[in-house]
Amino acid sequence: MIQLSRNYSLPEKKEDDLAIKIVGVGGAGANALDRIVLDGMEHAEMIVVNTDVQSLASSVATQKVQIGRVATRGLGAGGDPELGFNAAQESADELRETLQGARMVFVCAGLGGGTGSGAAPCIAQMARESGALVLAFATLPFAFEGKRRTAQAMEALRELQRVSDAVVCFENDRMGDIVLPKAGIHQAFAVADTTISQSVRAIVNVVRRPGLIQIGFDELLSALRSQNSRCLFGFGESDSDNRAHEALALALKNPLMDRGKMLTDARHILVQISGGPGMTLTEVEIVMRELGRHVEDHTQILFGTSVDGKMGNRLSVTLISSLSAEGEVAPALPLRAAKEIASEPPPPIEPVAIQPVTEDATPVVPMMEAPATELEEIAPPAAEIAPPAPVRKERKPVPPREPQIAPVPAPLPVKPPPAKKENFFQARQEVMQFEPITRGRFEKSEPTIVEGQDLDVPTYLRKNVRVK
Amino acid sequence: MASSNLMVGLEIGTSKICVVVGEGKPDGTIKILGVGQAPSRGVRKGEIVDFETAMKCVHEAVVDAEEKSDIMIRSVYIGITGAHIQSFNNRGCVRVSEDHEEIDEQDIEDVKINAREVSIPAPNAFLHSIIQHYHVDGQDGVLNPIGMLGQKLEADFHIIHGVRTRIQNTIRCVKELPLDVEDVVFTPFAAAQVVLTQHQKNLGALVIDVGGGTTDYVLYVDGAVKQSGVLAVGGDHITNDISMGLRIPMTRAEKLKVEEGSTVLGNCLPGETVLLKDDSGFAGKEVERETLNTIIHMRLRETFELLKRRLEDEPFLDYLGEGIFITGGCSQLNGIDHLAEDVFGIPARASHARTMSGLTSAFENPQFSAAIGLIKYAQAVQGDRQQRGRFGRFIGKFFNGMR
Ligand SMILES: Nc1nc2c(ncn2[C@@H]2O[C@H](COP(=O)(O)OP(=O)(O)OP(=O)(O)O)[C@@H](O)[C@H]2O)c(=O)[nH]1
Ligand SMILES: Nc1ncnc2c1ncn2[C@@H]1O[C@H](COP(=O)(O)OP(=O)(O)O)[C@@H](O)[C@H]1O
Ligand SMILES: [Mg+2]
Ligand SMILES: [Mg+2]
Repeated sequence: MIQLSRNYSLPEKKEDDLAIKIVGVGGAGANALDRIVLDGMEHAEMIVVNTDVQSLASSVATQKVQIGRVATRGLGAGGDPELGFNAAQESADELRETLQGARMVFVCAGLGGGTGSGAAPCIAQMARESGALVLAFATLPFAFEGKRRTAQAMEALRELQRVSDAVVCFENDRMGDIVLPKAGIHQAFAVADTTISQSVRAIVNVVRRPGLIQIGFDELLSALRSQNSRCLFGFGESDSDNRAHEALALALKNPLMDRGKMLTDARHILVQISGGPGMTLTEVEIVMRELGRHVEDHTQILFGTSVDGKMGNRLSVTLISSLSAEGEVAPALPLRAAKEIASEPPPPIEPVAIQPVTEDATPVVPMMEAPATELEEIAPPAAEIAPPAPVRKERKPVPPREPQIAPVPAPLPVKPPPAKKENFFQARQEVMQFEPITRGRFEKSEPTIVEGQDLDVPTYLRKNVRVK
Repeated sequence: MASSNLMVGLEIGTSKICVVVGEGKPDGTIKILGVGQAPSRGVRKGEIVDFETAMKCVHEAVVDAEEKSDIMIRSVYIGITGAHIQSFNNRGCVRVSEDHEEIDEQDIEDVKINAREVSIPAPNAFLHSIIQHYHVDGQDGVLNPIGMLGQKLEADFHIIHGVRTRIQNTIRCVKELPLDVEDVVFTPFAAAQVVLTQHQKNLGALVIDVGGGTTDYVLYVDGAVKQSGVLAVGGDHITNDISMGLRIPMTRAEKLKVEEGSTVLGNCLPGETVLLKDDSGFAGKEVERETLNTIIHMRLRETFELLKRRLEDEPFLDYLGEGIFITGGCSQLNGIDHLAEDVFGIPARASHARTMSGLTSAFENPQFSAAIGLIKYAQAVQGDRQQRGRFGRFIGKFFNGMR
C-alpha cells in the first residue's frame, strides 16, 4: 500500500516475519516491551498481556490482550499470583490464538507481583505447547519490596524454568547498582527495562539478522540454559576511533557482568557484535582477542556479527551468559528438549561446536586475521537475507553446519590481564536514557483507533521503519 | 454588540484559541476588525479535556480580541470538531399540501425534518443538515424550489451529527465565561466558506484542515457538501512522533518541526544534520535532517492514505474538478501539497482564507481559516434570517441558504 522513497524499505510481508513473538506480561513486562518497541524492533510481533486495562491502554505495543476480564475486572491482580494465574486460564483461548504460528516466543515479566508471576509461566507453557521455542526474561524484585514479593517471585521463577527452554533472569538489586544511589526507583526500573530490551534485541539479532556468522538456536540455548542460574549481561556501544575496544570495555563494565570477573566461571558466552557497513574484521578480532583475556581456556565463546546500515559509525557489543549457582557441570535440559534428544545420538555440546567449520574452504581463523576487510563485501546483501532461523525440529545429531554458522574456534590462550588494566576500563561510561513511557501528549484523550490501529503510536514504529 | 452586522467567530483549537471579529458590509463582503489569540491548553484532539484550564485560555483569547478590535464581545459563533462527529447523506420527501400549489418555506422545513427522520445513535445530536439539491416531481437538481409548482418535494441533505454531551461541553465552556453562543458550526465546513469560492464548490473540491489534534475535511461536488468528517490525528501526532523518534522533549520537537521540518524525502545531503541548540549551555544534539523528514513524511502520508480510504467509500473523489485545498497550521509544512497529490492522485495546494478587507495578515495565516470561516457562516445565517423576517427567527438555525 505504502510507497516510500529510496531511503528506506519497508519489511516485506514475509511469512517468516511472524516467526518471533515478544510478549510482555504484567506491568513490568509491558514497560520492558515498550522499551523494546521504542528502541526499534524489526522482525518480531510485539504483544502486551495484562489484567490491568490502564497499563494496556498506555502501552505502545501494537497487539494487546486483556486477560482475566471476569477475574480481575480490568483492575490488575493486586499482587496475587493466583489471581494472575486464573486470569491467564480464563483467557487461555485468546492467548493461544495470539501465540499461534510463532517459532520463537520471548516472554518478559517482572516477577513478584500478581499478573507477571501468575500468568507468565502459563503463557510460556502455552507457547511451548504450540511448538515454539520459549525464552523467558524475568526480573526479581528489589529486596526492599519485601519478603513476600521475593518469595512469590522465586516460586514463579521455578515455574518459568520448568516450562521454558531458557530463562534469563535479572536481579533488580544488582541492577540498582547501575543507577546512582540517589536515583529513584523509576530510574532503576528504567534500567531494568533497558537491560531487557538490549538482551532481547541481541538475541533476536543473533538468530535473525543477516550476518557474517550466524549463531544457531543450539548454541544460543547452551549459553543461556542452566538451572538456578544467574545471568551475566553486558552491553556497550561506541563510535570513537577505538570503538571495538571501547564497546567491549563498556559491556564488561556492566554491573551484571561483575566487571568481567564473573566471566572466568562461565562455560558459555554469547557475544553479538553489530556495526554499520564500515565494521571491519580487524575490529571483530579486537573484541574477540580482548574478551579472550577474561575467560578460561575451556569456555566456549559463541559469536555472531551483524551488519546494520542504521548503526552508522557505531559498533555495539552484547555479552550474555549464565552462571550456575551450584556449580553444576551439565546444564539441565528443559523437559521437552531432553525428551527429544534422548532418542538421538549424544547432543552436540562443546566439543563439536568449537571445531572450526570444515565444509567451508576458508577456516575462520585466517579470515579473522585478514587485514581490515570491509565486512560489507563478505556479508550477504540485505535483500537475500540468510536462511530462516533454524527450527528446533531441524536439530541434527551431528551438526552439518551451514556455511554461515561458524562457532568461534577455541579462545585464544588466556593471558594475564595487561598491566595497564586501569586504562582498559577508562572508557566513557555510557549514558543510560530514562524515559517514562506514557501516552505523552495523548494521555487524557480517547485513543485514536482507525482500521484497527492505534494511531497515537508513531507511524514509523507501526510500519517498522527504524529511525536513527 | 453595537450593531447586528458585527460577528465573532471562536475556534477552540487543540493548539491555539482564535477569536475573529468581523463586520459584514452591505455589499456582502466582510471586514476583519481584529483577531485575538491564546495558546490552547486543556484541549486534546479538538475536544476539551480540562475544563478550567481551557476556559481560562478562551477568556484570554477573547480579551485579546476585544483589545485588538476595540469591541465588546457578547456573543460568538463557535467551531466544533472531534472524532465523534460523523456524517451521511439522506433524502427527505414530502407531499405538497392540497391547499396551495406553490412550494413555500414551510414545505422546505417539512422536507428537511423528514430527511432527519432517520436514526442516529441515541447519545448523538444533529449539528447540520446541509441542503444538496431539491427534486420537484422527479425533476433533478433544483436549487431553489420556492414558488415552483409541484406535488412532490424531495431534498437531499448532508447530515452531520455528533455526541451531544461532547458538543455541549464546548458550549458550556463558552457560556460560563459568560458569552452567548449564536450557533455551533463544524469547523471544516466553516473553513470551506473562506477557502473555496462558490465556483470551486461547483466544480468540486476537497478541503482538508490539518490542525493540531485533528484533521477535518469536507468535500464538495456540484456546489454541495457530499462528505465530511474528522480523523483524530494532527500536528500533535507529528510532534509526538518526532519527540519519540529523536528522543527529544515535546517542546523541542514542536520547534524543530515548525522551523526545520519538511515532508520531502531524498532532498538532504547525505549526513546533513540540524543542530539543536541547548539553552542550558551544553553542547547541542545533532539531528539527521532526513530522519526528521522521514518521521513527518510517514505520519502525513499515512494520514492522507487513511483519509483517502475513507472517502473512497463513495465515488466523489473522481469528481474533484478543482482538486484539494489543504489548510490549518500543518498546511505550512514544506511539500505537503505534493505529498497529498502523490497519495490522492489529484492536484493539491496549500491554502488559506481568500482576501477580504481588513487585516491581511489574519487571513493569510492558514491557522485562522476556520475562525474566519465562522464569520462568513455567520454573515450567511444573518442574511438568511433578515430576509425571512419573523418567520426566519421562528425556525432559528433551520435556515437553508448555506451550502
Ligand atoms: N523492569 C521493570 N520492573 C518493574 C517495573 N515496575 C515494577 N517492576 C518489578 O516487577 C515486579 C512486578 O510488578 P508489576 O509488573 O507491576 O506487577 P504485575 O505483574 O502487573 O502484577 P499486578 O499488578 O499484581 O497485577 C515488581 O515487584 C518490581 O520488582 C518496571 O516498570 N520495570
Ligand atoms: N509554520 C508551521 N509549519 C509547520 N507546522 C506548523 C506551523 N505553524 C503551526 N504548525 C502546526 O500546526 C498545528 C496547529 O494548527 P491549527 O490549525 O492552529 O490547529 P488547531 O486548530 O487544532 O489549534 C500545530 O501542530 C503546529 O505545530
Ligand atoms: Mg500491574
Ligand atoms: Mg483548527
